[in-house]
Amino acid sequence: MASAWAILKKELRVLFLSPLAWVFLSAFLLLGGFFFTWGVASTGEASLRGVLANLGVVLIFCLPLVTMRQLAEELRAGTLELLLTSPVPLGALILGKWAASCVLCLVLLALTAPYPLVLVLYGDPDRGVLVTSYLGLMLCCGAFSAAGLFASSLSRDQMVAGVGGVLLLLPFWLAGGAVGVVPVWLEPVLMQLSFVEHLRSFAQGVLDTGDITWFVCFTSLFLFLTWRVLESRRWA
Amino acid sequence: MIRARGLTKRFARVVAVDRVDLDIDGPGVVGFLGPNGAGKTTTMRMLTGFLPMTEGEAIVCGHDVFESPLEVKARVGYLPETPPLYPELTVGEYLSFVAEIKGVEPSRRVARVGEVMEQVGLGGWERTLLGALSKGYRQRVGLAQALVADPQLLILDEPTSGLDPAQLVDIRRLILELGRERTVVLSTHVLPEVETLCDRVVLIDHGRVVGSGGVDELAASVGAGSWLEVRLSSAPVDTPSRLAAIDGVTSVTELSPGCFRVEGRGDVAPRVAMCIHGSGASLEALTWHAASLAEVFLALVGAES
Repeated sequence: MASAWAILKKELRVLFLSPLAWVFLSAFLLLGGFFFTWGVASTGEASLRGVLANLGVVLIFCLPLVTMRQLAEELRAGTLELLLTSPVPLGALILGKWAASCVLCLVLLALTAPYPLVLVLYGDPDRGVLVTSYLGLMLCCGAFSAAGLFASSLSRDQMVAGVGGVLLLLPFWLAGGAVGVVPVWLEPVLMQLSFVEHLRSFAQGVLDTGDITWFVCFTSLFLFLTWRVLESRRWA
Repeated sequence: MIRARGLTKRFARVVAVDRVDLDIDGPGVVGFLGPNGAGKTTTMRMLTGFLPMTEGEAIVCGHDVFESPLEVKARVGYLPETPPLYPELTVGEYLSFVAEIKGVEPSRRVARVGEVMEQVGLGGWERTLLGALSKGYRQRVGLAQALVADPQLLILDEPTSGLDPAQLVDIRRLILELGRERTVVLSTHVLPEVETLCDRVVLIDHGRVVGSGGVDELAASVGAGSWLEVRLSSAPVDTPSRLAAIDGVTSVTELSPGCFRVEGRGDVAPRVAMCIHGSGASLEALTWHAASLAEVFLALVGAES
């Protein structure tokens, strides 16, 4: 665990020392601000429902840009050799890196605090719904970070890792939209795959253990796959 | 310190390292020598636990590399061919990070980082970004990271490649110093470097160990390049044939009247002296011309290929 903590600190330092984290935060807040203003102004409703759903989609495109360098760059620069010849278990290395992008997401979500604050000050939003919506978005961040990290383990090229991450996540967003055009028997499968469907309960203020489990499984699966890829790279 | 038996690494159909046996003990600098692509780096990567071996076993610092890799990694300092640096970090930040992942106690970390920086000549560079360092200084930082956890065994993969002459002298002096108290395994293909730095040499070619021991021992074992100059004040006509008949002598050439070049396996000098004494000739000088490492290297590597 101590080495995972060391990796986490190093990752955050490298992340915030490069322009990438700042570009990511600015882009996200710019879009977030737009969705918030537009959502509240067009519906007149003191709710973050639309904003958070849109931000989930923005994350699909932005988060892989943060995670793309995490392993691809270590592979390219040869620094993975340092990490893997140090007494750092592979699991701790992966956890540290994943936790770093989760921390970045926490910072990001903390920076969107003015949105609910404005709603509370000038309206009467359902506070429970606000809390569960944020929780859903955080679970989304964890899941996307894991998938992005997995994409990053597949290539030495950051761009390939970044685009790969987006391509990996897109089907999980589009799956719900395909309902109605696919055979009926396929619909429940697609509904299950779509993270939009699993976010719905959070946006309604419901904490559904099924949905929480889905996000936890999604995250664990991709962290496990990352571990397998790194392990198989050593054996290749 | 290192005991390897039948160490083998296959990549798909290529055998990179083929049944290598190694026995390295005690302090000193051991040269790991071989042409490019001989399997030096792959062997080092297996010994450090970075690559798993296809076959064989390796005990490093008393622990099996395959069974308990973390124990081995905690005791070995490794400098890969390209120093593994993060250009965004400063020298101080980087070394503190390495100290942390290598398990240096938190209370000792700052002091230890300061010590190794002084040791490798990086005093005052703590706040410099790694990305802004010259190649020589990157190499120093690489050495510092290998040293930071005070390892029993140091494995250095071509630590002097790309350095200017002044930096070379500095780094070589440092390696010699380090070799006094710990085992240093040094991979290189710069032969004079091995001659000045190493007590022992392991020669590797095509993934196999083709010779090991002290440079003199190796030279004696192959008889490559070393020869005996025999100078006689009066030489009977049959001297060349008498010398050639000595056990172990492989060739005799007359360089000038009364002066012969005698080549042979092992130490033939005593037998040559006895033979001359017996023939009634008077011996003026008997000079041993030792082979250079380059000649030994070419003899062993050439013999293999």
